[in-house]
Amino acid sequence: MHIPDGFIPISQCIVYYVILIVALYFSVKWARSNLDEKRIPLLAVLAAGIFAIMSMNMPIPFGTSGHMVGGALVAIVFLAPEAAVLVFTVVLLIQALIFGDGGITALGANVLNMAIIGGSVGLYTFKGLNGMIGKYAAAGVGAWLATVIAALACAIEMAIAGTFPANIGIPSMVLYHLFIGIIEAVLTVIVLVALDKFRPDLLAWNKGDA
Amino acid sequence: MVDITQIMRFDDLASQDSPIHNLEGRIKLISTIFIIVVCVVSQELFIPLILEIFLLVVLKIAKLSYWDSFKRLLMLLPFGGAIIIFQPFIQPGNIIWSYSWLHVTDAGLNWAILLLVRLIVSLTAIIIYSSTTPLQEMASSFRKLKMPRDLAMILSIMVRFLFLFIDELAAIRKSQKSRNFNIHGKNTPYKWRVKQVGYTIGMMFLKAYEQGERVHKSMVSRGFSDASEMFDEKKSPERSDYLYLFTIILIVIVLEIIIFKFSGQLGYLGQNLGIN
Repeated sequence: MHIPDGFIPISQCIVYYVILIVALYFSVKWARSNLDEKRIPLLAVLAAGIFAIMSMNMPIPFGTSGHMVGGALVAIVFLAPEAAVLVFTVVLLIQALIFGDGGITALGANVLNMAIIGGSVGLYTFKGLNGMIGKYAAAGVGAWLATVIAALACAIEMAIAGTFPANIGIPSMVLYHLFIGIIEAVLTVIVLVALDKFRPDLLAWNKGDA
Repeated sequence: MVDITQIMRFDDLASQDSPIHNLEGRIKLISTIFIIVVCVVSQELFIPLILEIFLLVVLKIAKLSYWDSFKRLLMLLPFGGAIIIFQPFIQPGNIIWSYSWLHVTDAGLNWAILLLVRLIVSLTAIIIYSSTTPLQEMASSFRKLKMPRDLAMILSIMVRFLFLFIDELAAIRKSQKSRNFNIHGKNTPYKWRVKQVGYTIGMMFLKAYEQGERVHKSMVSRGFSDASEMFDEKKSPERSDYLYLFTIILIVIVLEIIIFKFSGQLGYLGQNLGIN
């Protein structure tokens, strides 16, 4: 889902960058008012952890493999998509500069898909379903939907860029991520169960504002 | 996805000595981004190809191995490559080859070639940048370029802990391997394997969080507060740094003029291949 350099024309890249800057502005503001001064080391080390997690490839039936993104996970842990934006801006920036995984010019679009859209879809699906089907099921559905919608957004951006026509790009990206999403969902739930068991104080939903 | 344990090797490479390694961090970052932006904007092959030749010369000056850099490039191609491969078949244009329902169009083929060249040049620039710039220097370049304070701090601290987590992950993997755990192995149920990966990730997440808390405490005990600033070595760009950046800008200006004036004489290289 990491869009490389050259696939999106520069004028559209600028639009995504503007979205990124606005999102970062609100995210930094959110972090200042909701997390104490612990926020910087906390988010930094979490970003390093996510970086490592993203590198673990998991086999998926049908012979391909995928890796976890974790946008929904970070958003659900903090009950705020802003946390995902901060963490993923840093992670994707380093991935782009070191590995060339995702482009520098496409950074805005990539953060938009994985953190802003992925994080928000994951979190609000979770919030909406929480009361109905229980928190773990809700988180699983949220993470699954986040992956699918992020892939859809990626396909739409490519279609607007003219790189991948919507009639082929959207079905193939979405179909592929329907499966990847299951892995993302399962792993998100396992991590949340583990967190709830060992460090319930870390989860924002235990602080009563879920 | 690339193997992140390689990051250690990259940082080793980046700590060597060569005229390119010794350039100031900001200059390297700006010139890398500049080259990538020029490539992304180019609709003809001429400019990216000349820039690629320039980058290959830089690679030589930086004493990097062509073969290793080429291998890195190959590993980075898959996602972009997968999309490029489809282009000749899906873009509208004049059909130049067809086999039953498969059609290759001229516009699609040209576009695919342009995308591939853009991608290769961008990746070459990134490979040179990451092989000549240690992570710490990258983070400090962003700070010096006035990245918002909170974000710059997160970036700097993240970069410091990255190596720790890569070690940690490598240790977990090694211990799993020593117990004959194989993530792709068919001898264990799929569900069980997914669960093990989930536990590993949960473990990493917890360790990350707790490490973050410990780091914060140790920082506070050394006087860290909300008003603290990162220390940056005062190192301003020297004449050679400006010369490097100026050379790149000059090359691009000359190339743009050539394209503007003589695009007709350049043949295929000067042809507008873009579709967006």
